[in-house]
Amino acid sequence: MTLDATKTGAERAIGVVALVLAVLAPLLFSDFWLNSILTQALILGIGAASLIFLSAYGGMISLAQTGLMGIAGYALANMVTQRVPGGETKGLLLGWDPMLALVLAILLTVGIGLVFGAVASRSFGIYFLMLTLTYTVIAFLFVGSVTLIGGFSPVAGVDRYTPGFIGDIANDRTRLYYIALITAGFVYLLIRYLIRTPFGISMQGIRDEPVRMASLGYNVALHRTLAFGIGAFVAALGGVLYAWWFGQLSPTTMGLDATIQLLIIAVVGGLRRIEGAWLGALAFIWINNEVTNRIPSDGLPVIGGTFNTIIGFVFLALVIVSPDGLMGLWDRMWDAARRRGRPPQVDMETPEETAMASSS
Amino acid sequence: MKVGRWRLLLPLALLVVGGTVATSGALATPAQSGEVKVAIMTDCKGAFAFGYEVDTAGALAALSQYAGAKPKNKKKPSAGITGGTAGGKSINIVGIGCGDETPALALKETRRLMNQLGGEVMIGPLSGDEAVTIANWAKANPQKTVIIGTAGSQDPTMQIAPKNLFRYHGDGAQWNAGLGEIVYKKLGWRTAALIGDDYSFPWTSAAGIIADFCGIGGRITKRVWTPPAGGDYAPFIRQLPAPDKVDGYFWLVGGANTGAALTAFEQAYGSVKASQHSGNLFLFFLGNFATVAPKLIGSYMGGFGTAQTGLKTKKANTYVKQAGKWYPGVADVNDGFFYNYWNAAWALVQGLNKSNGAVGAALHRALPRTLKPAFQVANGGTLRLDSRRQAIQDQYPLQIVEGTDGKPAALVAGYVPNVDQTFGGTFGPNKSAPGRNFPPCVKRKLPWQGKVQVVKNGVITKQFIK
Repeated sequence: MTLDATKTGAERAIGVVALVLAVLAPLLFSDFWLNSILTQALILGIGAASLIFLSAYGGMISLAQTGLMGIAGYALANMVTQRVPGGETKGLLLGWDPMLALVLAILLTVGIGLVFGAVASRSFGIYFLMLTLTYTVIAFLFVGSVTLIGGFSPVAGVDRYTPGFIGDIANDRTRLYYIALITAGFVYLLIRYLIRTPFGISMQGIRDEPVRMASLGYNVALHRTLAFGIGAFVAALGGVLYAWWFGQLSPTTMGLDATIQLLIIAVVGGLRRIEGAWLGALAFIWINNEVTNRIPSDGLPVIGGTFNTIIGFVFLALVIVSPDGLMGLWDRMWDAARRRGRPPQVDMETPEETAMASSS
Repeated sequence: MKVGRWRLLLPLALLVVGGTVATSGALATPAQSGEVKVAIMTDCKGAFAFGYEVDTAGALAALSQYAGAKPKNKKKPSAGITGGTAGGKSINIVGIGCGDETPALALKETRRLMNQLGGEVMIGPLSGDEAVTIANWAKANPQKTVIIGTAGSQDPTMQIAPKNLFRYHGDGAQWNAGLGEIVYKKLGWRTAALIGDDYSFPWTSAAGIIADFCGIGGRITKRVWTPPAGGDYAPFIRQLPAPDKVDGYFWLVGGANTGAALTAFEQAYGSVKASQHSGNLFLFFLGNFATVAPKLIGSYMGGFGTAQTGLKTKKANTYVKQAGKWYPGVADVNDGFFYNYWNAAWALVQGLNKSNGAVGAALHRALPRTLKPAFQVANGGTLRLDSRRQAIQDQYPLQIVEGTDGKPAALVAGYVPNVDQTFGGTFGPNKSAPGRNFPPCVKRKLPWQGKVQVVKNGVITKQFIK
């Protein structure tokens, strides 16, 4: 058996074990861990997956994904919550059918994503990054300033109004966990499928050589716009789940901190492999929880600070040791093993070059 | 990196992760009995970060006073307590929540304290939107108990009002009762504009002023709301009518931002005239003492349900002595942040004693519907909760004066007995929560109209404000 086949086998085995653990999680973990750590990791992982999808296969590092998640969540929250005695107090409180609201929230987010994508489709690198950051800032300020849809106060009670097939997730949090797990699985398979389609392959071509792809007749801007729309769809799924999980939405859920957090999750997990989204989310949330519980709020001795300090160090160390995040660490381990049995010149090649050489 | 290093690093990493998971409560564990798990929720970041030790001091001092606990460190309340029993059960402080006044972090911290660490009772939070968030959380967690620390939004006990949530102090509107009448009568204001932050607490705070000022015949000609993040106030100040177009201004800008807002006002309209400016408690506190207050000597402002500069009654004097001994020099016991957390913890001890340490529904039934806090004078000094478990509390409008040391000081100027949350029907559970445009400016008879008593040198006189 070759080393690559061994690696693939090991990854599949780990994947199966992770899936089994995930399915059995309600039996293994406390309610808090299931609800606040694992469910949150699955949901933020979906958000990070939308970012990694655009980055890994489209060459677009988007900071708009948090904003798009927030738009989906806010749209849903405003459409489903109701003005009843002892009920909610903020937002439009339209009281619409939850199924209709769910579909409209996702469609609205995808529509906005396509518009955002179309505007940004001709920008690259740092300009693309800044433009997408602007989208999130616009979304943040919009929901914060327009008090009709909530303002800076929370729009609450979102988890009490869900479509029939979703059920009572406000009281049955295990149900919400499984819904998040199924959605995460769907997103993973969807992205894996998409990158193998002609569209996905041409996206990867545009990622590597946009000028060459344009000269071959591909509409680069359209491809990038559509990819952004797909990213918005995935982000919308994450946003809806986030609204159900959190139960209430306020602008800070799509603020600058949240945007940076999603980027950190993606980078910690690894910007090149979609699995990194959930690995990064789990690592980020787990570290956050441990630090909050274990370190006094007035900070660490000498260096001060709390979670942001710790995650900052982790981020820094990871970027130095493995720019491709935790998934990159895994790949590097296998690359190192491979190098032991290869001639020295293989070391000169990047993993991409190695992959291209082996496929050609 | 050589493979050899991985052989060392991987097991090490797995050991760290495994060890942390094993000790982190990740795996399901049964609940302990024989103790009551209490969480304190306050802020350690953002505009109210100063409240972390002050709020904690208030709650833990009361537990020390009434439940036999002892501070671990008299200079640092967040170090916690040892001992302490109520209703035959020991009190276990499971954690002190660290919010930043945002709903998102408040909910996250609440879940950590109450769901992960197993808190059964929460004392907190500190600020308005946090309380809205936690009230909604409380509704979904009816077996838990929340006693609000010192948050001033109306919604938690008016529109949301879950049965497991209690508040032993006024909301932001109640704190401002009497202020409108004072500026109407003492300063002759007939028209006013207001400017405030655009979220729950300033809306509630403004609601009290509007109801009071309009109730007696005043008119609010303009309401300007600014993004709570602060920043450049110039464009918002320009939306206010000029000083010659209005009799006065009510300032409801949160935290320490009043200084920046007032500076922008001066840049637009020239020096401020103290008799033309009023506002809520933030006009003086939270860092505005040095920047804003010196310019506003003589101005009237809303209170905090406390006789901030002291009230000369036996009960108030006893409280100052009792509360002040636990964390000397850390917090001013007359300050509402300390006082409100003190009263919340005191009520909890009473409730636990009555329920024999039982929590959940038994504690909800047992928590006192009356309390005798230091600055309550009406009803023989008894504060009552209404049917939505919200305090009906005496209020004390303040005036900024020049202290004996030449520095500005907040002096109690009036006494408004028994202020309830409805303002004579202005607010109600089936009405909108205070917002940008609610309540409307309407003349109406409030229960305390014409009955605001003058307070002189810490003594409530028989005179009414004229």
